[in-house]
Amino acid sequence: MSVIVDGPAPSQESMVHLECIHVLFDRTLALDLESLEIGAGERVFILGHSGSGKTTLSRLIKGRLRPSTGEVRVLGVDPAARESGARRAIQRRIAMIDQEFHLVPRLSVVSNVLHGCLGRVSPWKSLFGWYPVAEWEKAEEVLEEVGLEGLGHRRVETLSGGQRQRVVFARALMQEADVILADEPVSALDPELAEDALELLVECVSRRGVTLLVNLHQPEVAKRFASRLVGLANGGLVYDGHPEGFTDEDAELVYRGYRRDSARRRKRDDRVAKSLEAKASHPDLRLVVP
Amino acid sequence: MFLSGLVGWALWWSEVDLGALLSSGPRFAEFFSRLVPPDWSATRLVVHSTIETLMIAIAGTALAVVVALPLGFLAASNVSPPWVSQPMRWLLGMLRSIPLIIVALLCVSAVGLGPFPGMLAIAFHSVGMLSKFFAEEFETADEGILAAVRGTGATWGQTLRYGLFPQSVPQVVAFSVYRLEMNFRDAAVLGLVGAGGIGYYIQLYVRGFQYEKVAVLLLVIIVVVTLLDQLSFWVRRWVR
Repeated sequence: MSVIVDGPAPSQESMVHLECIHVLFDRTLALDLESLEIGAGERVFILGHSGSGKTTLSRLIKGRLRPSTGEVRVLGVDPAARESGARRAIQRRIAMIDQEFHLVPRLSVVSNVLHGCLGRVSPWKSLFGWYPVAEWEKAEEVLEEVGLEGLGHRRVETLSGGQRQRVVFARALMQEADVILADEPVSALDPELAEDALELLVECVSRRGVTLLVNLHQPEVAKRFASRLVGLANGGLVYDGHPEGFTDEDAELVYRGYRRDSARRRKRDDRVAKSLEAKASHPDLRLVVP
Repeated sequence: MFLSGLVGWALWWSEVDLGALLSSGPRFAEFFSRLVPPDWSATRLVVHSTIETLMIAIAGTALAVVVALPLGFLAASNVSPPWVSQPMRWLLGMLRSIPLIIVALLCVSAVGLGPFPGMLAIAFHSVGMLSKFFAEEFETADEGILAAVRGTGATWGQTLRYGLFPQSVPQVVAFSVYRLEMNFRDAAVLGLVGAGGIGYYIQLYVRGFQYEKVAVLLLVIIVVVTLLDQLSFWVRRWVR
């Protein structure tokens, strides 16, 4: 049932690399990953109950969050680098599609799409609203690709939810990133539209051979599009492998396990919190509390 | 309790004298009766100086907006670090606390008589308030949109230009037009200290008891203020 698309085959080149990750909010362990390695061109769907750590994982990879301990590398670089030039350079390589669309409602569709190229155009010229002609053409092409041709001049606030969704896709594609993250990208749409929108995203991404990470609630939909499934429960990895191998028992583990384990989970969180606090005197270690 | 005490003390301090107010009736009446008929011979002069006042207000407001936008970015705590935004707020508070008339007197002694010091004073005085309003408006911006624009690898400047500013345009325009209205009224008194505009004639005619000419002055000012009020309504409706 998987979507047939042209594009380079997944290679072994590492795109995303996480090691010994602990993310602690107050005394709750939001994420606890020994290691996660994602290669170029993979389409990874991350399943899990809300609160399982899906969003935390994508925020880590986007560099919006620093882990309490451990190492995050995208293309070999820390996405939350403190030096602003280095951070901008790596941010450009990672596109993020948020659950809320985060478009500028007052601006036109094409202006919002053009935001995708801000990282590669002249910072000074762009302050006066100037973009290279090539970028305008690219924006038109991307809009056509997502099926919004002719709507470029419309204000985003006049569009329907489904159309806005495609503007968000267009902005992410415009960025020409190496990794595209999508956190519950279609949860605002009704189920049928949602699957169509997801299909569109997967097609556009596969055409470019870019690495895709999608957080999703529905295992059935994920199995249809994924080249790899990752299941999270209570911030821990409970499944990592081929979508075909994802059984009902695995689904049970991902979606039910969190209830049974809540007492054990609190105990574990306390233990990790204590050990981290003990280490917190170390100057390099900063506990992240959002 | 405390409040009424305070107000009572303030009334006493202001030497409120009901007797003087009541007995002043005939004098007010005389003032109003002498406003008619207006002496239209002053019209040319009054219209000319009113336009000068309006131009002082427009130029001063424009200069103030240009300066206040970057200051507003720096004072907004969501896009500037606290060690920038906090001192910026103190500075803006200081600017706001200096009365316009003092600024105008300083400008006149610095650059001489005429409309130019008036415009400088108006601009200087407006910057404090506009920057504060702008900064507060910027702080209401949607953080998700800022993060989305920043996440494309945009610089700080680009994030302000494409993420923050477009969200705030309607309010920035509304505040600026509102400030223009205020600045016209402020500029009308600047002539008292020699900083150009209609204020010079206000004091000339009032002190000279030429109330027929004062009537023309008042009429022209009322017309201009009403027009500005309409203008600001149209502009706010147009920029959404």
